[in-house]
Amino acid sequence: MTINEITKSIISIVSEYLESQGTGSDIDVKTVLFGKNAVLDSMGLVNIVIDLESHFLDNDIEISLTSESAMSRKQSPFRTIATLAEFINEQIK
Amino acid sequence: MIDQRVIFITGTRKGIGRYLSEYYLDKNMIVCGCSRSESDLKHPNYYHFEVDVTDEKSVIKMVSNVLKKHRRIDYLLNNAGVASMNHSLLTPQVTVEKVFKTNVFGTFSMSREVAKFMAKNKRGRIVNFSSVAAPLNLEGESAYAASKASVEQLTKIFAKEFATYGITCNAIGPSPIYTDLIKNVGKDKIDDLIKRQALKNIATMEDVSNVIDFFISDLSSSITGQIIYLGGIF
Repeated sequence: MTINEITKSIISIVSEYLESQGTGSDIDVKTVLFGKNAVLDSMGLVNIVIDLESHFLDNDIEISLTSESAMSRKQSPFRTIATLAEFINEQIK
Repeated sequence: MIDQRVIFITGTRKGIGRYLSEYYLDKNMIVCGCSRSESDLKHPNYYHFEVDVTDEKSVIKMVSNVLKKHRRIDYLLNNAGVASMNHSLLTPQVTVEKVFKTNVFGTFSMSREVAKFMAKNKRGRIVNFSSVAAPLNLEGESAYAASKASVEQLTKIFAKEFATYGITCNAIGPSPIYTDLIKNVGKDKIDDLIKRQALKNIATMEDVSNVIDFFISDLSSSITGQIIYLGGIF
C-alpha cells in the first residue's frame, strides 16, 4: 500500500466520521486532526483510531496506533492527515 | 452457523479458564484461549494461542488474528492471573512486578485491543477477574490484593469509557475455589478465610460461570462497572 492510498483511506474515514457527526467539512492532507483548530475532539480521535485500525486489518494490514512511539513523539503523528499517513506508512514498512 | 458467538478467555490452560473454555464450548460458542504454554484442550471450536498476556505486541497480534479469522469477539474474560502469597516484608519487588504484569497490565492490554473492535460492532461484554483478597485486605497477599484492587478500578473506568460503544465491563471476585492458584495455601488459612464470608462454603466453578453468564447475557446491557463477589463478601 502506497502513502497515497493510505492518505486516501484516512481522508475517507475522517470524512465519513465527520459526516456522521453532522460536522462534515472539506478535508485534505493539511487538515488538522488533533490539537489546536482540530476537526476532531478527543472522542472523535478515539473513533478514528478504531476505524483506521479495523480498516487496515480488513485489508490484512496490522497497525497499532496506540504504540508508545506514537504517544511519546514530540510532534504527535495524529496532528494532521499527512503526519498520520506518514506514521502509518512507517508502521507498514 | 450465522450467529455463533466468539468468546475470548485468557489463561485457559488450567483452573477456572480451562473450565470456562469447556463450559462455553458446550454452549456452542467459538472459544479463543491463550496461555503461556500449549493446551491439551482439543475441540473443533477451540483456538489456542501460546501467548503471555504481559507481552503487549503478542497480544495485539493475537487479537488481530482472531478478528481476521472470526470477524468478531463478543465476550472477553480476563481470567489469566498469578498469585503471590507472602508477607510484604518477605516480598521482593520483582514478585510485585510479576503479579501486576499479568493481573493488571495483561487485563489492560487485552481489554484495549478487544474493546476497539467491540466498539466497531457497538456491542461487547468484558468480564475481569478480581478476588475477595481485595475487599478483605488479606494479610500475606499484599501484591495480589493490590493488583486485584487495580483490576476493580480498571473495570469501573472501562465501564465509563466504553459505555458509549455499547460495551459493558464488570468483574467477578471469586472466593476460594480449589485450583492451582491456592494449592500452596494451608487448609487452616482457607478455613479462616471462609469464616469471614456470609456463606461458609468453598466456591465452585459453577458459581463462577453463573455470574459470568449473568454479566454476558444479552439482557444485561444495563449492568456495568459492577463487582460481584462470591461467598457473601461485602
